[in-house]
Amino acid sequence: MDVLRSSPVTVLDTAGAQRDVQSATPPGRRGSRFRVTKKKATPYLLATPAILLLFGLLGYPLFRMTVLSFQNMRLRHLLRGETPPWAGLDNYKRVFSDPFFWTVVRNTVVFTVVAVGLSVLLGLLVALLMRRVSAWVRIGMIIAMMLVWAMPPLIQAQIFKWMVDADFGVLNYMIDQIPGVNFTNHSWWIDSVQGWSVITTLVVWGAIPFLAVTLFAGLSQVPRDLVEAATVDGANAWQVFRNVTLPILRPLIIIVTTLSVIWDFQVFTQIWVLRDSKPEREYLALSVYAYTESFGRSNYSLGSAIALITVLLMLGVMAFYIRQMFKMGDVE
Amino acid sequence: MAAVTSTGLPPALAPKVPKRRSTESPLTHGRRGPGRVIANVVGLLFTVIMIFPAYWVINTAFKPPNEVLSFTPAFWPENPTFDNFKSAVNAPNFLLDLRNSVVITLSAVACALVVGFLAALAIARFRFYGRRSLIMIVLIVQMVPFIALLIPLYLTLNAVQLTNTLPGVTIVYLVFVLPYTVWTLRGFISNVPKELDEAAMVDGCTRMQTFYRIILPLVGPGLVATSIFGFIQAWNEFIIINTLNSPEKQNLMAWLLQNQTLRGTTYGPLMAGAVITSLPVVVFFLMIQKHIAVGLTAGAVKG
Repeated sequence: MDVLRSSPVTVLDTAGAQRDVQSATPPGRRGSRFRVTKKKATPYLLATPAILLLFGLLGYPLFRMTVLSFQNMRLRHLLRGETPPWAGLDNYKRVFSDPFFWTVVRNTVVFTVVAVGLSVLLGLLVALLMRRVSAWVRIGMIIAMMLVWAMPPLIQAQIFKWMVDADFGVLNYMIDQIPGVNFTNHSWWIDSVQGWSVITTLVVWGAIPFLAVTLFAGLSQVPRDLVEAATVDGANAWQVFRNVTLPILRPLIIIVTTLSVIWDFQVFTQIWVLRDSKPEREYLALSVYAYTESFGRSNYSLGSAIALITVLLMLGVMAFYIRQMFKMGDVE
Repeated sequence: MAAVTSTGLPPALAPKVPKRRSTESPLTHGRRGPGRVIANVVGLLFTVIMIFPAYWVINTAFKPPNEVLSFTPAFWPENPTFDNFKSAVNAPNFLLDLRNSVVITLSAVACALVVGFLAALAIARFRFYGRRSLIMIVLIVQMVPFIALLIPLYLTLNAVQLTNTLPGVTIVYLVFVLPYTVWTLRGFISNVPKELDEAAMVDGCTRMQTFYRIILPLVGPGLVATSIFGFIQAWNEFIIINTLNSPEKQNLMAWLLQNQTLRGTTYGPLMAGAVITSLPVVVFFLMIQKHIAVGLTAGAVKG
């Protein structure tokens, strides 16, 4: 890295000298002063289109959303393009004093904790299992996971919706086969615990490939000598895992866990599709709630406030993630 | 490794999946006997559970209606039929939305690739004031839920009269895949040793020449992988277009969602539609998976 920072001039000068020797074949690069200013401007020129786009369609809307959350925008303002009246902190007061909002927060947090915990744990177990099985089984596992991973989330959710269908779903049929259990016409959505279990299963099922494959790759970077040394010293499998593998894998586990938290906290597609685009109140997660408030009930300002709170709630995790990225030196 | 994981890029791209039949340590992994058998059984069970939903969608797609709506679902279509596929393709708007999907996705990804590559070049190859902030922005932006931004996005597009148009959605998708594109390409570019640039310049290349003679060819596989993954992301998106555009300007995913809500329990055609819609994405995904196993090995062990 430092090479470029400290010695570009030297490099260029050498190039210049070389060019003289080589009888000036390549064109370009005339005066050295011009070269330096041009070099300084280059990165900015390169990054400008991206920066403009990001600011225009992410930065500005984010600002707009913040303003919106302090206004009171309804459908007529949207249709007529009028400036909505200022509402100050009203939206936030309304949100925070609404017990239902806290129910949604609780649902979202519980879901995130359970889904992330399960997916990381299962992902790790699968990765470890992949190290133990025969090659042909491993190939089968990888193919299955790649298929799941490749499937669009919308379609994953539609398949699950079909499988848990009350009348013709295959899940009820299979559970029915267990003697003494009657799941005919059983609806999975009446009891919200069961409903959330379906949502969680879908999310975990969809997340395992990413986690297992990543962690498996991480596992294969654990130095074999270390494992062997520990084994020679009498460590059993668990001790090897606990004291050798896990510490080496830790940074990777932290990263994938953080990412999973960020993704699962924003869960939308799965709920939206499973509940046929009109989720019941007990199946609202924060982002779904923000969406239905905005577009279902035209409370655009209230929706914005909820969306902003969602982002703020995640800010801690995001900051942690970014710090981790910088710490790993990956960014440099 | 982290470079790739962090992007949300499917690490399929990153981790080479080692074929390590011969290199397995005899002490920990190569054990024969009951341990291995149990592991294999569990592994197979896992495979079956994971793949079952995928199998079930295909199974359903080939069943005639009376077999789909049966209280004892068969695990194999008794009278396999293509009717579901026919009725999906002939459903209103299918071809239109297919065209929309292709146009929107391709243009968004192509633009994102150009814009993203330039920005990635700046980040990976230059030291400049604000570089760290740019990296931060790219990282943060990847995490902001787009759904939260739908209202202000609508207002912003409205201000430039791009609501309910395909170009409007295309720009949104472009921005939607851009952070990821920048971030991944940055990784690919930093993996090209700077010494190569320098050697080229010593030999008399201009910066420009260095870019397209050295960096571009070496980043080629990375460009392919990044664009394909961008394609997948944009192809899979439905909620933005569904919210911003009127029903006749949707993409294939949104079409699928609308069909689900409109048709209720006609799962046969729905599942056939799902198969058709996910086919390109699945194929692409499996393609880059292979591509990258070789191309990203260096990236996988960076750190």
